[in-house]
Order: sequence, then C-alpha cells, then structure tokens
Amino acid sequence: MCEPKLHIVDDDEAIRDAMGWLFQSRNVPVASWPSAEAFLADYDPAMAGCLLLDIRMEGMSGLELFDRLTAMGCRMPVLFLTGHGDVPIAVSALKKGARDFVEKPFNDNDLVDRVIEALAFDAGERARQAGQAGVAARLATLTQRERQVMGLVVAGKLNKVIADELGISMRTVEVHRAHVFEKMGVKTAVELARILAAVG
Amino acid sequence: MTGGAASAAHGLGQRGPVQAMPIVAMALVVLLFGVFLWVLHRSEREEETLTLIKDVLWVEQNLHFQLTSDEEKLQYLAESLGREDTTPVNYPVMARHIVTVNPAIQRVVRLDAQGRPMRSEPPVDDGPALDDAFGPSPRADAFLIARSSGRRAYSAPYRLGAADTAFEIVIPIFRGDQFAGALAGVLSIDALLTHHVPWWFAQRYQLEVLDPYGAVLGTKSRIAMPEPRRSHVVPFDPPGHGLTLVATLHQLSGNLGRNILIAAIFALTVSALWSLWAVRRHIARRIRAEEALRAEHAFRKAMEDSLTVGMRARDLDGRIIYVNPAFCRMVGWSAEELVGAGPIMPYWLPEDLAHTEEVFRAVLAGNAPANGFELRFRRANGERFDALIYEAPLIDAKGRHTGWMGSVLDITERKRAEELARQQQERLQQTARLITMGKMASTLAHELNQPLSAIASYCTGCLNRLQAGSIRPDELATALEKLSGQAKRAGQIIRRIHDFVRKSEPNVAPCCLSEMLEDCVALMEADARQQGVKLVLEVGNGLPAVMADRILLQQVVVNLMRNGIEAMAATRRDRRRLSVTVQAQDGAVLTRIQDRGCGISPENAEKLFSPFFTTKTEGMGMGLNICRSIIEHHQGRLWFEPAPDGGTVFLFSLPVLSAPSLTGAVVSQDERPQDV
Repeated sequence: MCEPKLHIVDDDEAIRDAMGWLFQSRNVPVASWPSAEAFLADYDPAMAGCLLLDIRMEGMSGLELFDRLTAMGCRMPVLFLTGHGDVPIAVSALKKGARDFVEKPFNDNDLVDRVIEALAFDAGERARQAGQAGVAARLATLTQRERQVMGLVVAGKLNKVIADELGISMRTVEVHRAHVFEKMGVKTAVELARILAAVG
Repeated sequence: MTGGAASAAHGLGQRGPVQAMPIVAMALVVLLFGVFLWVLHRSEREEETLTLIKDVLWVEQNLHFQLTSDEEKLQYLAESLGREDTTPVNYPVMARHIVTVNPAIQRVVRLDAQGRPMRSEPPVDDGPALDDAFGPSPRADAFLIARSSGRRAYSAPYRLGAADTAFEIVIPIFRGDQFAGALAGVLSIDALLTHHVPWWFAQRYQLEVLDPYGAVLGTKSRIAMPEPRRSHVVPFDPPGHGLTLVATLHQLSGNLGRNILIAAIFALTVSALWSLWAVRRHIARRIRAEEALRAEHAFRKAMEDSLTVGMRARDLDGRIIYVNPAFCRMVGWSAEELVGAGPIMPYWLPEDLAHTEEVFRAVLAGNAPANGFELRFRRANGERFDALIYEAPLIDAKGRHTGWMGSVLDITERKRAEELARQQQERLQQTARLITMGKMASTLAHELNQPLSAIASYCTGCLNRLQAGSIRPDELATALEKLSGQAKRAGQIIRRIHDFVRKSEPNVAPCCLSEMLEDCVALMEADARQQGVKLVLEVGNGLPAVMADRILLQQVVVNLMRNGIEAMAATRRDRRRLSVTVQAQDGAVLTRIQDRGCGISPENAEKLFSPFFTTKTEGMGMGLNICRSIIEHHQGRLWFEPAPDGGTVFLFSLPVLSAPSLTGAVVSQDERPQDV
C-alpha cells in the first residue's frame, strides 16, 4: 500500500517545482509528473491521496486523463487547475465527478487547504471501502441455505414462518440463524440489517 | 381574342353600308342614264314624228303643186284644142313639149268625143290598162267623169309596163259649148316621185304610193326595210281614188353618235362596275390585313403587358414616346404623364441630376454601355430604386434610326441582397478578427499565468515556512532565485508580445493625398449611394506630398467617412452631403471631412477619443482612438469641430514631406480602425 500523497500532473516544470515547494511548506507529501502520459505509465490502483491536474497540457489534457482514470476505476479525488477562460470546461468536469477546480492564479494556502481536505476525504473513503470489503468476505462464507435464512431474518420474519416457507423444521432454522449471526459477527438481527444496508 | 372578334364584327357591320353605297350610287346612275336616254329617245321620236309629218305634208303639197302645174299645162293645151275645130298643126309640138318639159308626164293622149284615143304624143300604144276588155278602164271612168262634169278628172291608177304605175289627168275639151273630146296626160307615179321628191327627203324617208288595198304603186328609194318603222300616211289627192302617200323613216345616220354615246356609257358603266369590284376586293384584302394586324397587335400588347421588364422608348431628342405597363408600375407614374416628357424626367433623382443627365447624354450620343448600366431612380411616392438599364437604337420600318429603346430592370432587391451579403461578410471578417484577437489574448493570459502562478506559489511557500520558523537561509535563497527566474520569464513573455507587435511597422513612403482621397471616395461611393449621401471631393491646387503609410491613412479616412455617412442617417435625404476637402496650410496638408449629421454632444465630445468609448450599438470604441494614434504617429494631429451647417467636421493635418519617425508605432494589423 502506497502512502497517500498529492499527485501533481503539470507540463510546466516551474509550476511543479513551485507547487512542491508550497505543499512541502505545509507538510503535504507531493509526487509530480510532467505529463498525463507519464502519470498513466506510473499509475497503480493502489495509489492513494488526490490528484491536481492542469487542464491545458502538451499532449493529453487534464480532462482526458480524468476520463481515463474514471474509466479505470480510480476513485481518488481530482482537483483541476484552470487558466483564464477554461471555467466552463472545469464546470463540466465537476459535473462528471471532479472534486474541485482552482483558477490560476490561485490563493495558494487556500489551495493547500482544499488539497488537505481532499486527502482526508480519500482516506475516509478508503476506510469505508475497506469495511465494506470485510462484510463481503463474510457473506462469501455463507452457505446457500444460510443466505436464504438470512434474507428472511433481515425481512423481519419469525423463525416459525421461515421454517414454513423453506419447508424445514424450526430447529433447523435456529441452527442456520445461529451460524449466520456467528459468521457475520453480529449479535442481533438489527445489527445484521445495518451491515447489509451499508454494503448495499 | 373574343373581344377582338367582336370588334372586327362590329367593324364589318359598319362597313356594310359604306360598301353598299357606291353600288347603290352606280345603280342609280345607270338607272338615271337609262331614263335619260329613254326620255331623250322619246322626245327625239316625237320630234322625228313631227318632222316626218311636216315633211310628208310638204311633199304632198309639192306633189299637189306639180300635179296642178301639169294640169294647168294640159288645160292650156286642151283649151287651145278647143278653140280650133281641128287638131292644130302645132299640137304635136306642144304636146311633145309638155312631155319633154314635165318629166312626170309620160305622154299626152287626144281622145275623141267617145273617149277613143285619137293620137298619142309620143305615139305609144296605151296597153291593156286602157282596154275595155276587163270592164271599164280607168281612163274611160275618168273620161266619163270629165265629160259629165266638164272639168278635169283623175283616173284610177293602172299598171304601166312591168314596173311602173300610172294615172291620167283627163281634161275635157269644149268647142264652144260642145264637148269635143278630151285630153289625157299619162303620169308615171315613179317619174313623179323621182323628179318631184327632193334628194334629202329620200335620204331620210322612204316614200311610197299605195293603193286602197295597200299595194305599192310607186316608191322613192327602194331600200329594204328590215322591220316596220315609223311612218306617216297622207291621202294622195289628187289623184284621189284612195291613193295614199306613205313616208317611212330611215335609220338615221344621226343615230350613230347616240349609239357611240350609249356604248361609251355602257363601257363606262362596265368599267365603273369593274373598278367597284376591284375596290371591293381591295377593301376585303385590306380588312383581312387589318384583322391580321389587329391580332398581331393584340398579341404584341398581351406580350408587352405581361413583361416584368420596364420598356421605355425615346426619340432622338430623348423625349419619351412609349412606356410599357411594367415601367409605369416600376416608377409609379402613368403612361400619359410619362409620354412626351423630355429631359429631366420625373423619375430622376433631384439630388443626382448632374450625373443622371450625363448618363442620359451619353445614351443619346450612342455611347450607352452594351452590357447595361446602373442608375438610381425614384418612384412617384418618393421611394428610391436601383435600375439596371440596357439601351438599344430604335430602327423604324424604313431602316431609319428614330430613337432609343431602353429596358429597365428593378434591381433594388438584388442590390439590397448584395449589400446585405457585403455587410454580413464585413461583420464576419470583424468577428473573425475579434476571435483571433480573443484567442491571442487568451494565449497571452495563459502564458502569463504560468510564471505568475509559480511566483505566487514560491512566495506562499516561503511565507509558510518563515511563519513555521523551520526554514534555512539556503533553502530560502534557492526559492527566491527560482521566484526571480519566473519573474524574468513573465517579463520575456511581455517582450515577446511587444516584438510581435513591432513586426508590422508602417510602410512609409511619399504619398499624394489627393490620389489617396480619390480612392477613398471611390471606395465609399456604393455605401454613400446606399444611404443617399452625396460625396463631394475638393482638392486644393499644388498639394504637396506627405510621408505616410498610404494603407493606414486610407483606413483613417474611410473610417472618418463612414462615421460621417452614418451620422447623417437622421438627416433629410436631400441634405445628406459629405464633403472631403484637402488643402495645403502652413507647411502642412489639412484634410477636412465634413458631414451634415446630428453633431457631437459636449458630454460625448470629451470622451470621443478615449478607448472603448462608442456611440454605436455595434461598435467597439477602437476606431477613433486608433485613428488618432495613426495620425499622431505620422506626426500629425486629428481633431474635430462643429460644422457650420449642423454636423461635425473631422480634421487632420500632416506635415509636408519630412520623414516621420515611425519606429515606435504600436499599430498592428489587427488593431487597424474598423469602427468607432
């Protein structure tokens, strides 16, 4: 797992250097690439943190890179740096799911604040995703019958009714129910319902 | 076409009596001639009859006289015989003398008391006529009458020889109181007629002696009469016995003249009829030709009326002699008002008379351009329209050149469309220029943003660390060096812009302002006409040349002229006038561009030259500002004053031929004046 950091993609070396200087002055870890192509070459789904993309670049533009990353399932927050006259483009990027855009020349500490927010957001998202991944793993350990029983339990049905519907004895239902609770790591049906709702 | 047929029928109906009249007149003439001839003939016949009767009576009288004369001679002889007892010795001589002298008396016969012939002088046998064998002879009858009456008696006629007829005068001879016989004179009727009817009578009449039974006893002139003719009968007495004299009129030679006259009249009548017929045929031909002409005329007229092209014919003096309905519709005046109109037509533009008249003269001189020419006309309601005119000589049927035929097309719509297209094109170009400028500005902004952003970032980074107190001096130095590097980069970008602008330096050369102004006026001619503005260019004498960029100056003048034209949009049409004057003044050349527009209000006057100030809805407010920069870079001056007659006059002066230093000019291609 990589350390979360700010990934800057800008074709202007002075900008990259100046940004590095700025973010390091606020202890934000920074990595930078001179072009979208270079970033794509180094891209790793395990990368964490956020992206700061220049819209106008030689070769592939920031927007194009954003589209590619979205298609590849990258969920890192993306901030756009725009020059004069690029506002409509940036707005459309926002609608597509970009986190923010910053017009050049920018209020530098404000930008740093926004980046820090984005990094925190990313960290939170990752934690949530990790939790969801645990639930999914537990669900995978359930047997077919246990899944059926779990579905009916979550629907709020009594053991007796479940036994009638599945054509099995109440005793068997109780055993399955105990297994489900144990495997899913919950004590009550309400807790089970909340976990499943979080997974979707 | 039905109307034409109706009118033709009407025409024929009218022509009927007209055509019939000469025929009726001819018939009347012929009839009257006939009546006249008949009356003439009748009166002539009456005259003839009268003459005939007179002549016959005269002849009868003449014969009577002759017979009386003969009778007297015989009487005398008989008396001489009576005086003597015997036949005197000289009787034969006397008798022979009577026979000789009077041709009618064939012979003299001496009869005794019993009526027997004693001697005849000349001695000829009396023949059977005097025999008693066939009853009493005519002589015996006459003898008896003479003896009993004691007076002379005429015998009945009798045949004398083969062809002759005769009668006798019997005169009794008394010796004392005793009847002593008689003397008979035999008279031949033929001889009587031959000798005692004059030649002229025989020429005119045939004279016959008829007995009571109608047999011809004698005749003068034996011409055979083909048909019974007029005649007159008088009793022939003496000799009596029912004899008659019949005079029959010959065919007179005088009739020949009349016949010729009649023949001439007849011939004349025939020729008159023939000529009448010829005239009728001629009229029929004319009517047919007329109808054909009328049909042709109707066809032409229909064609002409359906034309959308205006047609206008003028005579050699330029007077209108014909206009078609399309032309009338075009100009709004009726054909009656236009035909006969001379030079200075009602549809000429009053404000452009001189030019129109010049074109008009050129057409009359035969110098009209073959591919047409354009003029602006006005309609009756004052509206202006553009006309495209083609002129062609008008040649009459005899091949003489009698005038000019012009076809006139209303091309206002076309011109308007062209103008619109031109304006749109211009606007498009302006827009394209603006877009280019916008793009360039955007690029420059982006370019400048980069170093400025970097500078800001270094700056903020340094401040952050200074505040945190965690910065080392060498770190700060590095950052500040980088910062200064970016500041230099920004400076270089600015320099690049400057360099780019400096690439388009004005092309300065000696320039003749009058030529340049003429070009400008020509350039603006179409716009001015469109707006109804009269352009006037006045160039002063001996104008010195100036050092200038001709293209830049032209843009200044065109811009000022366009402003002037647009300022007169609310001015009365006939007052719209833009005058451009140029003259040398105090070592400079002064150009004045004067309009008659609304003028410039004092509050606008202050801001007029400031950038981005405009009085126009579509303007950018760069034109006048740039104009002034251009003039100032030519070391000249641009200003304006209120014009004496209401509008504004823009003036600029340029120094005379002293090369201006234009190295610092910042007027780029894209910033040339487009509008105000």
